[in-house]
Amino acid sequence: MSAAGGSQPGGTRIIRTDYLARVEGEGAMFVRLEGRTVAEVKLRIYEPPRFFEALLRGRAFTEAPDITARICGICPVAYQMSAVRAMEDACGVAIDAGPLRDLRRLLYCGEWIESHSLHVYMLHAPDFLGYSGAVEMARDHREIVEQGLQMKKAGNAILAVVGGREVHPINVRVGGFYRAPTVAELRTLIEPLERARETALATAGWAAQLPFPDVERAPELVALADSGGYPIDLGRIVSDGGIDIAPAEFDRYFVEEQVEHSNALHARIRGRGSYLTGPLARYALSSQSLRPLAREAARDAGLEAVCRNPFQSIVLRAVELVQACDEAIAIIGDYEQPDAPAVEVLPRAGVGHGATEAPRGMLYHRYEIDEAGTILDAEIVPPTSQNQLAIEEDLRAVVEDGLDLPDEQLSLRCEQAIRNHDPCISCATHFLKLTVERA
Amino acid sequence: MIGVGNALRGDDAAGLEVVRLLSARAAAAGVVVREQEGEALGLLEQWDGADVAILVDAIHSGAPAGTVHRVDASRRPIPARLGSSSSTHAIGVAEAVELARAMGRLPARVILVGLEGTRFDTGAALSAEVRAAVGEMAEAVLREALRQARSLAAATAACP
Repeated sequence: MSAAGGSQPGGTRIIRTDYLARVEGEGAMFVRLEGRTVAEVKLRIYEPPRFFEALLRGRAFTEAPDITARICGICPVAYQMSAVRAMEDACGVAIDAGPLRDLRRLLYCGEWIESHSLHVYMLHAPDFLGYSGAVEMARDHREIVEQGLQMKKAGNAILAVVGGREVHPINVRVGGFYRAPTVAELRTLIEPLERARETALATAGWAAQLPFPDVERAPELVALADSGGYPIDLGRIVSDGGIDIAPAEFDRYFVEEQVEHSNALHARIRGRGSYLTGPLARYALSSQSLRPLAREAARDAGLEAVCRNPFQSIVLRAVELVQACDEAIAIIGDYEQPDAPAVEVLPRAGVGHGATEAPRGMLYHRYEIDEAGTILDAEIVPPTSQNQLAIEEDLRAVVEDGLDLPDEQLSLRCEQAIRNHDPCISCATHFLKLTVERA
Repeated sequence: MIGVGNALRGDDAAGLEVVRLLSARAAAAGVVVREQEGEALGLLEQWDGADVAILVDAIHSGAPAGTVHRVDASRRPIPARLGSSSSTHAIGVAEAVELARAMGRLPARVILVGLEGTRFDTGAALSAEVRAAVGEMAEAVLREALRQARSLAAATAACP
């Protein structure tokens, strides 16, 4: 990060992040100030998975979970879950209950644990403790990082046992799994999960007392709603603005628009504006459906029914860690190995829709297949794509509040504002470097 | 020996390709060969208990494509231009190494052998320059691994 000279009153300041060139593209975050007016805020931190949508065409419907799992290194399970749900929908199958559904939920809990613990301890905690990153923080607070690694390991263990492999689970297929784990295999997960649950509870308490700026943001909040519990693997799409639809109606209510002069995509609610998915949205819309232990953790952390402060997302993620650990333990406790690891799913011509809650928010897949099950068309809408406009609006507010800060500090605030939303950078880029430029 | 990379992003697959080329010969020499896709934090688990870790990865520093870099990170950080991550949003190889060092979870010896790439876009195959260099790179990595293995054996024999 570099900062040069001072700006002149009434002059133009430019604050820009640049990609180092692992992926093509210009600045990822661009802010232009004219005097004390925020003239322009442009954010492009995520590339839509267009390559994968194209790659899927002509492939068999059974290949969708394996191909889409490679879109995200941190959340392959989310892609698999949305993919299988959409393909099963196209073929007239719904796995909404029973041991196969429970296994999917368990696998998904593993991913939430892995992803949220990485973010809470390694990526977000340093912001609140005044460190530039996990490495600096680890020197003074080794125990925080150790906790993060321990929780991540518990999540990885679920992925390994249920998914067959830690990074890209290979055991998931349309209709269920290739192999259902035995009760004994799942029971090996209980001890690390119980420890993780204790850690998650302590983390919620610790996160609650971190210093949060007093911020309230008001994009429309969108998440799944599952009548059976806190949403993770299925449900209707709901919002705090009155939306309540089946996933099949997604395209009628949500639209992605190419933004002029940029490669960014802005997702909007048709006829309205930006919206936000992820922990803030899930919590606001479904906190009453949290498991009792997680609800209690939220209450003890001083959270009310709705939280609109993106900085406090660290507390919400900690609460969701409690939820995921507790849910995983409960599923394992009730599990009986099914007779068959999958149900038969025969292809038929049609369109299928699948929406699930990735750690970062709602992930929507739509596929059109022919009577042989060949994929004719694919639409994949990741949570970070959907959140870009809301995050951009956050940025604008941060800049407006921080006009008098020197560029380096303002840049840091902007980074934090982005980081609050746990954007899935790793899918699209390996580099996000912030530089401050003056014009 | 850990090949690091992303199989779907052009030259970012180089590290994986290289370790696959020599995994049989390395294993025959007693070297454990692994792959790390996704984010680099998993490296801490992968090298846990090892005396030596040889990381094989693609590099993007602006050097000519096909250049082989060797960095000994045992006592000092991998230089930023040779690291593979942002400092703000993801944990890359250099950061994972420093994190491990800060926590006392770094093997006594860590060597990064990197292959300079030139194209990293999604869906791309290896560039011609990298494809041409992979064989020679594999030999360099294997030599490094054998050297480290001999050195380790000698040290163990000297101080049982």
